Amino acid sequence: MRAGKTPLLGPITLEIPAGSHTLIVGRSGCGKTTLLRALAGFGGVCAGRIELNGVLVQDGSKSLALPHERGVGLLFQGGALWPHMSVAQTLRFVLKSGGVPRGEHASRIARLLELVELTGYEKRQVPTLSGGEAQRIGLARALALQPQILALDEPLGPLDAELRRGLLERLDGLQSELGLTLLHVTHDPDEAASFAQRRIRLADGKITADEILG
Amino acid sequence: MSRPLLILAATVLLLAGLLPIGVMLVRLGQDPSALGSVTSSRTMDLLGRTFLLGGSVAAIAMLVGAPFGFLVARTDMPGARLLRPLGFLPLLMPPLVTAMTWTVLVDLRGAPMTIALLSLSTFPIVALFASRAAERIDGRTEEAALLAGGLRAAVRAAIPQVLPAAACGACLAFVFAVNDWGVPDYVSSVGPKFNVYADEVFATWQIDEQDAQAVATALPLVLLTLLALIPALILRRRGALAAGIGSGFVKPAPLALGPWRWPALLFCLTLLALGAGVPIGRLIYEAGAGAPGGQNPSGQVPIPVEGFDTQWTFDRMRAAFARALELCRDELTASTLYSAAGATIAAAVGLVLGHAAARAKRGGLLLAVSVLPIAVPAILLGIGFIVVWNRSWTADFYSGPGLVVLLLLGRYLAFPILVLSGAAASLDPQLEESAQLAGASPTRRLFGVVAPPLVPSIFGAWTLFFVLAMREMDAAVLVPAANRTVMFRLFNAIHFGRDDFVAALALLTLFVIILPGLLWTCFAKRRMEVLP
Repeated sequence: MRAGKTPLLGPITLEIPAGSHTLIVGRSGCGKTTLLRALAGFGGVCAGRIELNGVLVQDGSKSLALPHERGVGLLFQGGALWPHMSVAQTLRFVLKSGGVPRGEHASRIARLLELVELTGYEKRQVPTLSGGEAQRIGLARALALQPQILALDEPLGPLDAELRRGLLERLDGLQSELGLTLLHVTHDPDEAASFAQRRIRLADGKITADEILG
Repeated sequence: MSRPLLILAATVLLLAGLLPIGVMLVRLGQDPSALGSVTSSRTMDLLGRTFLLGGSVAAIAMLVGAPFGFLVARTDMPGARLLRPLGFLPLLMPPLVTAMTWTVLVDLRGAPMTIALLSLSTFPIVALFASRAAERIDGRTEEAALLAGGLRAAVRAAIPQVLPAAACGACLAFVFAVNDWGVPDYVSSVGPKFNVYADEVFATWQIDEQDAQAVATALPLVLLTLLALIPALILRRRGALAAGIGSGFVKPAPLALGPWRWPALLFCLTLLALGAGVPIGRLIYEAGAGAPGGQNPSGQVPIPVEGFDTQWTFDRMRAAFARALELCRDELTASTLYSAAGATIAAAVGLVLGHAAARAKRGGLLLAVSVLPIAVPAILLGIGFIVVWNRSWTADFYSGPGLVVLLLLGRYLAFPILVLSGAAASLDPQLEESAQLAGASPTRRLFGVVAPPLVPSIFGAWTLFFVLAMREMDAAVLVPAANRTVMFRLFNAIHFGRDDFVAALALLTLFVIILPGLLWTCFAKRRMEVLP
């Protein structure tokens, strides 16, 4: 991926085991978000190969799988929730787009809200949610189509210390419960270190350290 | 982006705006000798006069519009909140209607009158841009300026942030002024001739219907329009207008004007009175003060000022409205339907193309192509329509309402595209990416995720198109099917006998033009967005 003639990311070679929790850390502008977006199928990759669960999804500049065909859920920085919808409408939109039969929508929405501990929030309008609630609805949206990989782009950014801890524990619980592969991007190297198995440091689009965490 | 939708929208743009222009250029290519007239001294003289008109209008609009916009949007001036929407009124008034009232009231003619009238009609464009830029200044930066040096420092810090947006509005005022044909024509009909370029293109074509000659004559005006349009496109994303209102944005508090509050109010009220209050008041007077009626003996100078009975009565006004409705119901209905149909198509096409322009790799090019029809004089577009559609196998379409709607789209489709491309660009792309990740189709993303937050802009684009279409006369004057509109009826009426019926018809037309925006302002919770 490039900005003009300057490469934004790479060259890097990275293998992430299924079911693991990997932290990707580095300063602002080092390519963390670019890496997640490339995995999800956004942002115009210009060279390299990406394989997800053994399936080649990107070969050079050619995308071989559309974003929704890659089995990646993405929790965007800041949530990126649709401001004109309610919580239920948000989740229903995703379920309908993903081809989930209409009859299953209500139960799936209830289950997703239970997963993020926001049961009863169906009718709440997105603009009325607090920062923490919005992040958790963003998480529910990312999980709605049962992805194998969950990419988290600075998920704890706008939250206070207590909410951060709560959401990290929730994510850890969800990873074990759903068998997810977590890719967790943050600028804080210590954030979530106690929950992750691996920490990768990026600088200027390249890997500068790859550590196994206790 | 949905490919079928994009193709459909591009086809509308092609048929309405680009095909007539392309055909006219082909005609010019077939007769290059027509280009000889471009450098004639007469052409240069006209070009100079048109530039003077456009430049003067843009300068005056900037001088009065920018302070007006800033005062109503950002200060504690009494009545600022009410004056802000009222500031639209002079823009909603058809310039011809403003002209027909002021030429009666003031003994000013020729260039000064034309410049004054078009300045009154276009200053709200500058005000609109200035207001929006002024309210996008982050409150924290303004507080820093206030701490440093009070109101004076705050205004000095604000000016560079508002100026690019106001200049963008001034460029658009220039474009409107140099392409206006109706006002110079009318002012010339009641006083010494002040012919401008748009007039000349019309006259050249009327004399011998030489298409190539009309195109050649119009070329300098196209260049002149592009000269203003290109900076307008560049400036629209500069200064405070370019600043997105993100989560960190702090809304600025109204600036306290202190002793300047009342002079500021007087300035704004004077502008509104000149642009809308006096013309509307005069029309109400004419509608209720009886009428001489009939054709002026000279058949040319229709100013029956002395002919009106000075005794205004409500009954007379009611009778004038009844007569106007009885005589012009068909034209009023036709204009409303044409404009509403055009606006609906334009809003849909504008959403598709505007979104594509905001998101696609070559979006800038798409936008540049989309605005081309604005650069072409309306008269030339009208001639292009005749050349393209006046054929035996399209005779039914040529004389039907479909052509009128297409003509209106050709004239004004660029504005909804600009408005909606700006709105789509301000929308966080992640909203669409998250829908894409969920597998939503491009069409579903456009209508389910992009369109709902843009409703105020979509309605703004609809209203802008509707207003411009209702006022349209400059291209429609050539196309027979478009002659059955209320503006054309009004144009004929004021040239061949002015009476209470004309005043009532002008007021009815104004009411229809104002109605959609008025309804939105009264009942919608969010403010309409009309800026490109």
